[in-house]
Amino acid sequence: MTTYTICVFTENSIGLLNKITIIFTRRRINIESLTVSETERKGISRFTIVIKHEKREEVEKLVRQIRKIIEVLAVFGYLNEDIVYNEIALFKISTPLNGKSVDVETINKVYKAWVVYWGLDYVVIEKTGTETEIFDFFRYIKPHGIIEFVRSGRVAVGKTPQGLIEYLPEEITEWEYYL
Amino acid sequence: MGNLLEIELKQETLVAPTQEKEGQTFLSGAQAMMECLLAESVDNIFGYPGGAIMPTYDALYDYIDRIKHTLVRHEQGAGHAAQGYARVSGRTGVCLVTSGPGGTNLITPIADAIIDCTPLVCIVGQVKSNLLGTDAFQETDMIGVTTPVCKWNYQITDPNEVPEIMAKAFFIAKSGKPGPVVIDFARDAQAAKMTKPFVYKKVEKMVSYSPRIVPKQDQIEKAAELINKAKRPYILFGHGVLIADAVQELLDFVEKTDIPCASTLLGLSAMPNNHPNYMGWLGMHGMYAPNVMTDECDVLIAVGMRFDDRVTGDSTKFAPQARIVHIEIDPSEVDKIKKAEAPVIGDAKEALKMLMPLVKKGDFTGWKNEFRKLDVKEYDKVTLRDLSQEGKIKMAEVVALLSDKTNGEACIVVDVGQHQMVTARYYQFRKPNSYIASGGLGTMGFAIPASFGAKVGAPDREVVGIIGDGCFQMTIQELGTIAQSGLAVKMIILNNNFLGMVRQWQQLFFDNRYSFVELQNPDFITIARGFGIDGHTCSERENLSDSLDKMLDSKKAYLLEVIVEKEENVFPMVPAGTSVSEIRLE
Repeated sequence: MTTYTICVFTENSIGLLNKITIIFTRRRINIESLTVSETERKGISRFTIVIKHEKREEVEKLVRQIRKIIEVLAVFGYLNEDIVYNEIALFKISTPLNGKSVDVETINKVYKAWVVYWGLDYVVIEKTGTETEIFDFFRYIKPHGIIEFVRSGRVAVGKTPQGLIEYLPEEITEWEYYL
Repeated sequence: MGNLLEIELKQETLVAPTQEKEGQTFLSGAQAMMECLLAESVDNIFGYPGGAIMPTYDALYDYIDRIKHTLVRHEQGAGHAAQGYARVSGRTGVCLVTSGPGGTNLITPIADAIIDCTPLVCIVGQVKSNLLGTDAFQETDMIGVTTPVCKWNYQITDPNEVPEIMAKAFFIAKSGKPGPVVIDFARDAQAAKMTKPFVYKKVEKMVSYSPRIVPKQDQIEKAAELINKAKRPYILFGHGVLIADAVQELLDFVEKTDIPCASTLLGLSAMPNNHPNYMGWLGMHGMYAPNVMTDECDVLIAVGMRFDDRVTGDSTKFAPQARIVHIEIDPSEVDKIKKAEAPVIGDAKEALKMLMPLVKKGDFTGWKNEFRKLDVKEYDKVTLRDLSQEGKIKMAEVVALLSDKTNGEACIVVDVGQHQMVTARYYQFRKPNSYIASGGLGTMGFAIPASFGAKVGAPDREVVGIIGDGCFQMTIQELGTIAQSGLAVKMIILNNNFLGMVRQWQQLFFDNRYSFVELQNPDFITIARGFGIDGHTCSERENLSDSLDKMLDSKKAYLLEVIVEKEENVFPMVPAGTSVSEIRLE
């Protein structure tokens, strides 16, 4: 299984999330993570969708099917080595009065994570990184007792010097695919 | 093309509404909808009223002299009628139905239209916008329900949106690879007045959607190179040729290059059957030579077709030796089933025009003769038997006789099953857009409403629906629509008292276990008469010719029921999922 990151640029309209996700459903492809937000260009949204698939060919077909949705402006498919990507995770860690205290220095220096909230008997730690880095930290902090853990979807930018949005001319005249 | 159509409405151009400049009365959403239809030159719509679409029907009342509306008997009939209309005329079919069940009854035609690339604009009523999501009376989430089966959908909740959205709707439905568009029209947006003057600008381009019409020159050159090098080239053309109105271009191309060609089921009638380069049609029940020769060609030129599984059988074993040129308007179809060495993205008409000067004049007499040799085998094993005139009447002889009597020029609308395949085999098409069938979805019940719609779209043509006894009962109520319209739609039931195709499969692949395929049929002629349509039954061969004459001579709608051989099988046949080389002749 190879991990693919699919970036979809769309007009910001109601129901588009459904139109995109049913393309995956119909082909029985599970979405590992999904992030949507507005881009630097107003009215244009960016979807970052992570999937795992065995066949590159099938992912190419999937990309073309997504491109076919009327409100979709462009679709880009990436392998991990083509992109810089990160996720953010929040850990709510138990710190009872006479329990083991958290080693803030290790957390900061070794794991590049930060305590963002101090509660009476718990702390909230924010860790940004790849999935692997987040789970490395997860294993380190687990003995303290994780009360709650949440991880965001992936966000990614391509390693090319241009911005993807530059591939979106004001008036698109081509049906182009990038994978 | 090119200039924008702007309609500034003047008071005198409207019968009922007034539209004054200074903050007075503007058009309601429903009236705006009617103006949009006029601006798109819509002359016929098919529909069924109900609660949530009543303001639009009320507005329609003022437009009945300019927009002809046909009241169907079930919304599915409206959809298929609009499909028949669109397929025969090349225009966009329009349906108007209410919310909830009205919309859900339209799902089958919408799904049919997306897979057979038929341009439809379906205007569906919706509950008032303040009731959305409350499980209100006749509320169905039409956007949610239709998203997987339509090309585009949009919910209008503000009357001011109507002109812009409808312009987009008509553009999207008809352009590129055509398909159905669903407009979910909230009742309050129909009734409320616009707050600005109605201005309609036709859409010819959208930022997020602009299908490529003219192919790239380098793709054309690569394709031409491949075609020119071929020793045994073979053209497979499909529905795309008819949609792109590329019939003449295909003919020119074939005549210059002398390449043999075959049609897909939906490509039928794009080339006259008697053309010397036309080898027949291919697919599961297609002809022997066109199927088998896919394994013999060195270059396969696919024009406006998508390698459907009913064409390829096992696609991994389909023409594995061939280098493929694929002319296709939808980029997602290229490499979807068969990898194309020379894809040409664009409209079939433009692509063929651009290829013309680049391809060599050819002579493939020897290669074409190889097809003809196989035809003899098919003739001996299948055609002779089908037309033997022994025993009970066979479907084939009815179709062959009809073909002779209409000189191959009628518009034939078929339903789904054995009669559909037999008609494709034995009708000798001479004119384009003459085989209207539900190909991709295989919707039984398609033919009665679609033949009606075809007659509306081509009133000067002889339209004959050829329908199985099972199919006929799926949309039998549309006989009422036909009777009320007064249009001379001709219908033939090929009655074998069986769901024939399923029975054939049960016989061949399920050990003769006939599970629920025998029908106890009603008296079809009495039913037709009850609807006000005359007809008669023919069960003897000696009456067949006179029976067809009587039907064809009728100035009004007519139903001819022909009692045919009960357990007839359609051959050739490529069993599902096997390779075309495993084609069976008996």
